[in-house]
Amino acid sequence: MGEFLKSTRFKVLLAFLAFLVGIMIYSVTKGGYSLSGASFINTITKPFRFASNSISMKIEKNADRISNADAYYEENLELKRQIGELNKKLTDYDDLVAEVEELRKLVVIKEEHPDSIFSQPAEVMGYIANDPFKGFTIDRGYADGIEPYSPVITPEGIVGIVIEVSQHTSTVRTLLSPDLSIAAICSSTNTDFGIIEGSVITAENEMTKLTHLDKNHKIKKGDLMITSGSSGLFPKDYAIGTVTEVGIEANGLSAYAEIEPSADISRLRSVFVITDFEGKIGEEEKEDTDEAENTP
Amino acid sequence: MRLKTPREKRILYFKTTLRWFLYFFIIFLSFTVMTSGSWTKPVLLVPAALCIAMSNDLMASAYTGAFCGLLIDIACGRLLGFNAVVMTVFCVAMTLIFELYLRKKFINYIVTAAAMTFLQCWLDYKFFYEIWGYSDVERIFTNVTLKVWLYTLLSSVVMYIIFRIINNILMPKEHLTIEEVIRTS
Repeated sequence: MGEFLKSTRFKVLLAFLAFLVGIMIYSVTKGGYSLSGASFINTITKPFRFASNSISMKIEKNADRISNADAYYEENLELKRQIGELNKKLTDYDDLVAEVEELRKLVVIKEEHPDSIFSQPAEVMGYIANDPFKGFTIDRGYADGIEPYSPVITPEGIVGIVIEVSQHTSTVRTLLSPDLSIAAICSSTNTDFGIIEGSVITAENEMTKLTHLDKNHKIKKGDLMITSGSSGLFPKDYAIGTVTEVGIEANGLSAYAEIEPSADISRLRSVFVITDFEGKIGEEEKEDTDEAENTP
Repeated sequence: MRLKTPREKRILYFKTTLRWFLYFFIIFLSFTVMTSGSWTKPVLLVPAALCIAMSNDLMASAYTGAFCGLLIDIACGRLLGFNAVVMTVFCVAMTLIFELYLRKKFINYIVTAAAMTFLQCWLDYKFFYEIWGYSDVERIFTNVTLKVWLYTLLSSVVMYIIFRIINNILMPKEHLTIEEVIRTS
């Protein structure tokens, strides 16, 4: 061992480790942009990750069916009753119609939010391995006009924010994460403000939490929370989620509400990125806000 | 190792190339699996890198460890370079341990792999969750980190078998002279 510590190969090894630490430090200074090496690997492996993720999602779906058979059976009975009622009003849609419907929803969003500029639909390449907050990677990057901290949505509502951008891929942090805070307002009362922020416990059930809510609020179960647009990081009036439970914080000073996100975070197939919107803050302000809101 | 004829040299180059091709094919497959689906998965690249480190020389282990670490950083959305540093150190340690102290037996491998995979999972938890002071952060350790470690440990057994087969077929064997055999024995 002593000989090894004095040997040239040990010195070479130390130099190599220093080089790797250098990469690590350099990647910190990139401010949300991937290193070209990572970007290259992401580009090369993109088609394989797509294929593998598609197979994996199918296996996951089937495993889920088997493990939750009882729960699904109960749910199925309830759904059958509902379907009976809805069948009078609804016609069957095939896959093509469903796809057209999704695009129609985007058009609706665009009409509702003429001040927002959207990216092309981005497909979810895969979820970040073992992330309890369900972060994921999409197949659009800075070549498609996406910048760090761009909001990510589905037709159902806000999903999260872009935190790292490569040339053709981006990483998204979801609203289940404690590192993402969104200023929200209740759509029905229009007076009750709060901050929506994930937590370790709520993320286990794919829920998030509305905090800093006034004790005398009028929010009730079933109310829809929307973005207030006050931070400049998210555009105004986008659905975030529905209130499932309301309570008083342990300190007794403020109230909280548990929120079920409008979008099904763990089963996303495609999303849209808002590349620009009215009230968006500039780069310098963004860094300040990021330090204040997004970094723990 | 003594190479006697040009034919033996050609066979050695061919086997070495094929062996490393298979190593990288397994690394690539592991990376692809790690980036698929939303379920909890083993960090397959850790046992893969450790298996390679166990039976190869120091610098090859270091480079493989760094490469696998970078892939782990990409798959797990970590700061690029973090796992590269960790894996380089682990792989070098693995090579040295098996060169100097331990025989290449399954039990030695699994104990070392258990310790190193746990350390990797713990460091990940420490630097990417606990350090930020999230409330109830210990639930991530019990519900995610330990589960990932257990899955990784189980996958280490499979990885060992796969790499053992590859090495048995493609790893060059020592050719000793009678004098060397006598001296060694």
